Amino acid sequence: MANLKTLIVSTVSAFALTTIAAQAQDFTIGLSNGWVGSEWRTQMIEEAQAAAQAWKDQGVEIEVLVQSANVDVPGQIAHVRNFINEGVDAIIINPNSPTAFDPVFAQAKEAGILVISTDAEVSSPDAMYVGIDQKGWAEASAKWLAETLEGKGDVVAINGVAGHPANEMRVAGYREVFEGYPDIEIVNEVNANWDQAQGQQAMQNILATYPDIDGVWVQDGMAAGAWRSIMDAEKVDSIAATGEIRKDFIDLWIENDFNSGASVNPPGVMASALNVAVYLLQGRELKEPAEAGQYGNALYLDIPFIGGDNVEEVATEIEGNPGYYSYTDSLSIDEAGALFK
Amino acid sequence: MTVDTASPAHRSGSIKRFFERFPFLPALIILIVLLVLNGIYQPRSVSMIGITSLVKTYLALMLLAVAQTYVVYAGDIDLSVGAILSLVNVVVITLMQQWGGGALPIFGAMAAGLAVGLACGVVNGIVVAAFRLQAIVATFATSIFFTGLALYVMPVAGTPAPTAFWRTYGGSLFQVPFVFYVVAVLAALLFALTRTRLVTHLLSVGDDAPAAFQTGLPVTAIRIKGYALCGLFSALAAFCVTGDTASGDPLVGGKMTLFSVAAAVLGGSALSGGFGTVVGSVVGALIIGLINSLVYFIGTPSEWQNLVQGLAILLALMIGVLVGRMARR
Repeated sequence: MANLKTLIVSTVSAFALTTIAAQAQDFTIGLSNGWVGSEWRTQMIEEAQAAAQAWKDQGVEIEVLVQSANVDVPGQIAHVRNFINEGVDAIIINPNSPTAFDPVFAQAKEAGILVISTDAEVSSPDAMYVGIDQKGWAEASAKWLAETLEGKGDVVAINGVAGHPANEMRVAGYREVFEGYPDIEIVNEVNANWDQAQGQQAMQNILATYPDIDGVWVQDGMAAGAWRSIMDAEKVDSIAATGEIRKDFIDLWIENDFNSGASVNPPGVMASALNVAVYLLQGRELKEPAEAGQYGNALYLDIPFIGGDNVEEVATEIEGNPGYYSYTDSLSIDEAGALFK
Repeated sequence: MTVDTASPAHRSGSIKRFFERFPFLPALIILIVLLVLNGIYQPRSVSMIGITSLVKTYLALMLLAVAQTYVVYAGDIDLSVGAILSLVNVVVITLMQQWGGGALPIFGAMAAGLAVGLACGVVNGIVVAAFRLQAIVATFATSIFFTGLALYVMPVAGTPAPTAFWRTYGGSLFQVPFVFYVVAVLAALLFALTRTRLVTHLLSVGDDAPAAFQTGLPVTAIRIKGYALCGLFSALAAFCVTGDTASGDPLVGGKMTLFSVAAAVLGGSALSGGFGTVVGSVVGALIIGLINSLVYFIGTPSEWQNLVQGLAILLALMIGVLVGRMARR
């Protein structure tokens, strides 16, 4: 009985505390992340939390609520429903599906909640996308590869998860670029599921089948694996391949003088989305409405690029961080503000 | 069934019998505790709207857990239920898209979806029971095959469902949310199935396959039928996912497979077969859903949410097993 009493008292006081805290706050923003398989996602959330902190100096108090776990699509729909139950002001989501959230986002909008997706676009007309254009991301590195090869040669591509929307957009991106170079031939395309070990394995198989390839177009963490195979085969000098943005890889790149270039999908996209969200919550209007992309609801951010000319600078910038740290970039509060009227 | 009714029942005999009749009781108690805790930490989560959302979100997992339970009855397992769900989802969406969004095409597409689910189940059954491959590996292999088919039907997620379809699933009839009618129909269906000979046969096969064979039961055919039933219920689960997400996604069900196994075990079914209830599995699915919400509502920091969630599911499993064992002693 005594235990029950303590429970009730502590719960009630917890409520009292949250109520007091709630009055001092201006906005509550819920962050939902449906996959925790990589450090990139952790960094994405940490940067968004830091961005919320930064608003304090502007006199805006932001409470950030985070739901981050390996969930299936219904599980992430539950994330959104939890946020609706709690009455948040905005939801920022890195979605597990581009289309599956249409009904639940409609519910959120009915409840007066602003919904922004980041990292992957969503089809819902009730949400907005703030992030990079995955197709443009692929085009930039494919262009680098084509130009590095001086427009001719045999190229292979190592892709992520077949059927994953970001992967399909990226595939469309590099194919389109390579089509513009008649002397570049894509001799093979394989899927290595965004897994470093599978990327390494795929590259080994490719080198065994096509020992004379000139270029490799490979995405994200798989690039580190692919480059390991290239090093093992002692072909660092004869192959140009795209790279990635983690510190481990950047160090390896400089150490071995890779012929590499990497489009940056910065983990800071969620922080950028948060800054945009706050301005929208304050009732500000975008100078140019978010109407880009296949769903007509996207606000695309600039895509940084790491190449031979600036890789040293990047390395200095991320010096002192752990090996899994990704090179990042995000809209600051002022930069985000510049997008608004 | 493994339940030994012949043992003397002098002390606490009635409690023991009670737990034997309702082996899902421990799970039900955990469910109620979780509901109370959710209510304490987020009162709105147990409001009418909150409960409706919970059912709407987890109805698919409930059906998938039921699907899994029918093969678990016979001591088998099906690691392809999530892939079947994805395949049915994309087939139904594609057909609705091609045939238009009227009532007749919608029902036609759903019938086709059931046929696909049934076919997948029969394939699993033949591979496992007739070819005698290990169920865990064989259905893992078929799951890859079914995912491949789903990707062939719809290479990338997209294609909206007809508005009538998802508005119905998410809406209300006579002030009562549509999903509650589904739950009522499901309850009646499960009750009717419990009375069928097939379910009794599945349980006897799971309890002791050689003995079942010696008493003249067609063990292979029974196991295939179990997988067929599993395929059908996976298709029903796919309808719920389609209603809740209003779109097709060839990868939507992949992660749900192991949750369906967990839900069945949480509900008191034995993976070794011969013992369990579908009601328990439905409760198990709700437990998983409530744990996910509670972990968040109590304010677990994001980096710990997976860990706490896993621990909570383990804890629920342990409580269920302990309570069940104590009651049966």
